[in-house]
Amino acid sequence: MVTYLVRRVLAMLPTLLIVMIVSFFLIHFIPGDPASVMLGPHATADQIEKLQHAMGLDQSIGMQFVKYVSQIFQGDFGQSLLFHKPVTELLLERAETSVMLALLSMIVVFCVGIPSGIVAAIKRNTWIDQVLLTIALLGASIPSFWLGLVLILAFAVRLHWLPSSGYPPIFATGDLANLRYLILPAITLGFSNSALLARLTRSSMLDVLQEDYVNTARAKGVTNYRVILQHALRNASIPIVTVLSFTFAGLLSGTVVTESVFALAGIGRLVVESVLGRDYPTIQAIMLVVAFIYLFVNFVTDVIYAFLDPRIQYH
Amino acid sequence: MSNTLYMYMRKRKAGMVGVSLLCLILLLAILAPFVAPYDPGRIDPSDRLQAPTSKYFFGTDRFGRDIFSRVLYGARLSLLTGACIAFLSATLGVFIGSASAYFPAVGSFLMRGTDALMAFPEIIMALALMAITGGGSLSNVIIALGVVYAPRMARTAYGLSLSIREFTYIEATRAIGSGHFRILLRHLIPNLVSPIIVQSTFTCALAILGAAALDFLGVGVPPDIPSWGAMVSEGRIYITIAPWVIVFPGIAVILLVLALNLVGDTLRDALDPRLRKLT
Repeated sequence: MVTYLVRRVLAMLPTLLIVMIVSFFLIHFIPGDPASVMLGPHATADQIEKLQHAMGLDQSIGMQFVKYVSQIFQGDFGQSLLFHKPVTELLLERAETSVMLALLSMIVVFCVGIPSGIVAAIKRNTWIDQVLLTIALLGASIPSFWLGLVLILAFAVRLHWLPSSGYPPIFATGDLANLRYLILPAITLGFSNSALLARLTRSSMLDVLQEDYVNTARAKGVTNYRVILQHALRNASIPIVTVLSFTFAGLLSGTVVTESVFALAGIGRLVVESVLGRDYPTIQAIMLVVAFIYLFVNFVTDVIYAFLDPRIQYH
Repeated sequence: MSNTLYMYMRKRKAGMVGVSLLCLILLLAILAPFVAPYDPGRIDPSDRLQAPTSKYFFGTDRFGRDIFSRVLYGARLSLLTGACIAFLSATLGVFIGSASAYFPAVGSFLMRGTDALMAFPEIIMALALMAITGGGSLSNVIIALGVVYAPRMARTAYGLSLSIREFTYIEATRAIGSGHFRILLRHLIPNLVSPIIVQSTFTCALAILGAAALDFLGVGVPPDIPSWGAMVSEGRIYITIAPWVIVFPGIAVILLVLALNLVGDTLRDALDPRLRKLT
């Protein structure tokens, strides 16, 4: 297992490097001079020169990259042009909302996706299966911004059950009840992802349920409940775990739209604000941080994968 | 082949529903200037936020513009963007994927790069690309999302090309002295076409959702072009008094994406018999 872990970490290094190169070049892909584009048409030559110097744009590309990487390792992502404060500070301020939202959505995905996939597989080709498949198909086709607005209309405007927007952070207010602000956003974000997971769980359960060892277990007189949960689900879970990392990436991506619908001050909303405000250092930092998180989650997934199926370690 | 496919499609009711729905939306989009009762940009302040009636089938928005006409014209935009993005990402993906499989020395580097690009969440990557290209135009939306979906396509093309590369007929073509480009273009890539078409159908569905999300966030096409995403975004402040403003464009997105997903599912099952027994 240790050799596998070391090999897996080493394999991740080139990807990390490429991710850093891509995010570094983001600013250099801007047509024209990045500093004057960021400052807008009314900037004076003096201001442009100052920003070029502050961002190190007057140095050679190689030097700029070395400086960029060393700053990243010190946790310094530069200065936000829009909010006039360090990007790291900005990211930390906004992190709680996005992390809580992603976690709650992950719970929705787990609790809805996996059970409905299992039920659909067991009740294959019955009306229950058809209904679940139709809902899953709809889930993959509904734009999340629209679903969010419809949920607001139903549960906040008409029924007054839940708040429609905002989220006072729990860490600042110490009030756990504030989680209710995230219920509608989490359902919005989790719904389409649980649809994907349900479809996958169903097909991998169907695959496994046809295996000989499932028949053997049944022949031995093992109860149906145990066959499904102990014999089939563990083996069906391998492809499910792999897809969960993609699900996590989907959730990260989804926070952008969901936070905009529910006016949540998270990192997703920050991306949109920085794109509209041409705040390139912030966009660059968010891309990098999110890619790092994604690679880390992928790594954890691979480790779980190797734990569930020990054969993987030897490939 | 086409006959078998037709028979199979007929057997699959869901597939037929998908194809019919897609054809209907295509037809309405093409005939929009004849079907739409009003000009999509026509402003009528006296008819602001009217509920659906026989005069305005889907009601009107805050400027008194007819939502039905705007939804019809929005279909043109969505179909065009979806198709262009799917085509762009398929072209890029097939080129990168097949070349990587055929020239392994360069290929492993290229695929490593593609994998790294997949670490950036799609919508964040698309937003960053919109910021770089200057945003706000249809071609920028197509380029941004086309580039975002290309790595996924490259992965598919790469996997398939790796196995095709080992086939005897490729070796035979090489033995009679065909050049690398000839083998790639005439013998390898043509065999990728059916799986890539299936993948493109799904990409088209994803791209329509992605482009609608960009429009909703205000970084997509310019506001004078009727787009479903922007219609929902503009209507959100009136959702308590005029919910129809967001309801109809949303349903339009769902129907189109649903049709494409149904067609994609059926095509995939038809082209991969192994999956057929499972569904």
